[in-house]
Amino acid sequence: MDIYLPIAEVSVNAPLLIALGALVGFISGMFGIGGGFLMTPVLVFLGIPPAVAVASMSNHVAASSMSSVLSYGRKRAVDFRMGGVLAAGGAVGSVVGVELFRWLRLLGQADLVVALSYLIFLGIIGGLMFWESVGAILRRRRNLPAPPRRDRRPPWLYGLPLKMRFPRSRLYISVIPPIALGAFVGVLSAIMGVGGGFVLVPAMVYILRMPASVVVGTSLFQIIITTALTGVLQAGRNQTVDILLATLLLVGGVLGAQLGARASSRFRAEELRALLALIVLLVGLRMGLGLFFTPHEPFVLMSGNG
Amino acid sequence: MAPSPPPPNLGHAGISAALTETNVRVNSDFRGDQIVLYGAVFDLAARPSDVIVIVRGPDQPVRIAKKSKIAGLWINSRPVVFQGAPGFYIAASTKPLDDIARFGELRRLQAGVDHLAMNAPAEQKTETRYGVRDVVVSSLGADYLDWQRAVVRLREADHLYDVNEHGVRFVDKGLFRAEIPLPAEAPIGQYKVRILLFQDHQLVAEKDRELTVEKVGVERGLYLWAHRRPWSYGLAAMAFALCAGWAASSAFRRD
Repeated sequence: MDIYLPIAEVSVNAPLLIALGALVGFISGMFGIGGGFLMTPVLVFLGIPPAVAVASMSNHVAASSMSSVLSYGRKRAVDFRMGGVLAAGGAVGSVVGVELFRWLRLLGQADLVVALSYLIFLGIIGGLMFWESVGAILRRRRNLPAPPRRDRRPPWLYGLPLKMRFPRSRLYISVIPPIALGAFVGVLSAIMGVGGGFVLVPAMVYILRMPASVVVGTSLFQIIITTALTGVLQAGRNQTVDILLATLLLVGGVLGAQLGARASSRFRAEELRALLALIVLLVGLRMGLGLFFTPHEPFVLMSGNG
Repeated sequence: MAPSPPPPNLGHAGISAALTETNVRVNSDFRGDQIVLYGAVFDLAARPSDVIVIVRGPDQPVRIAKKSKIAGLWINSRPVVFQGAPGFYIAASTKPLDDIARFGELRRLQAGVDHLAMNAPAEQKTETRYGVRDVVVSSLGADYLDWQRAVVRLREADHLYDVNEHGVRFVDKGLFRAEIPLPAEAPIGQYKVRILLFQDHQLVAEKDRELTVEKVGVERGLYLWAHRRPWSYGLAAMAFALCAGWAASSAFRRD
């Protein structure tokens, strides 16, 4: 059953999109991530114009994050104050990101920056995560103790001014690092069509040193605010949000996310991380390596008139 | 013996044509369409006739870039904008265009993808060369034709441009039929359908018809809303998404 998308102006197979939404939703529920990094490339591969895919993903990610953040909120696993500070940075980042994307499209370099962002960020994060999780799996197999966790927080986190208390994260740190982190993720969200959880979660654990129990919930909370803003800005500035596309993905996505969240309890954390790392690495390589191969068609048509 | 009657005045040949559908409605189950055109050639002398049917969609400027290798990466050049390129173009005929009319005539009529009059005005300037003033030169230089051909090639790959040398068939004496496939990606707007009758390499008659491709129903409403009031559309779309997420969470709540 094909359905015509009014903004993307292409005809797509509706059951396929719903199934795709469910699959990505399952993965996102399982790993506690938005899943935008997976969905956006697949949509482009299916023939949806990249600008529409990136923009419509904001709506999809906001919806799926909303559906999971509520259950984290009930378990008191969201640091709303930290989330708010991150989102303040995220708001600045998404405004900058949407304008930056517009400018890149005018220059004809949007594809390049998107592909490079995927290659660099997914490559680094996937590689680090894979290294760390495989190490953890091997240690457990050999019954070795976990390496002592260096709990010393980086001193520069304490040297900065504008300190604030975050009781739920048991932190008393400057607001500058969270704001900068939020802004960076906001830019990524606008350019790559992702929520940014894959950058945010490790950064919150390793840089801000937040307790693991509140990291995922807080990251989802910040992602909702940032992607909600990005989605409205993309619609207002670029007219590229396809509500029908977002809705189709959402139907499968929210169902898949709930099933994924239940399935995740059956696996060990480090095995889940290793699996996620592999997926992240594969997507990054798939998106980025095209830049290195000689194209069989040297010319490309750019969508829209800028 | 009675004198033989004078030869009847055969006059000029005429042509007549009609589309079986003049309004293509794009709704949620639109997957492209097949436009059928019927026409008749009126020629008392029954001279051999050839017909070209040209369907031309609304003009859409094309932005095109060329990839080149810079520091090991294939990177797009600055995009070049071509004006005058139709968003959709099909030339269907009874036999290859070059056998129907001469080059100059085809070029004048813009019959065939190679004869589309598109250019990149932003890349052009006039200067004096060999003592001749106001010579138009393009900053694309000798590659100009490569760029123009690439536009055609890429749009052909998207099924938006096509030349069908046997797309028009005579189904009975003087009666012809053409089928024009319209892909789902065909742009919205007014299409011009031109029916040209050739005899002995000469254009002897022509007819113009119009075709409208328009969005209808929910698709049209959403499209207009998104483009005319983008901010309210964006806010509503986001509110809808957040509510859907909230509803799903409540529906699956276990405690």
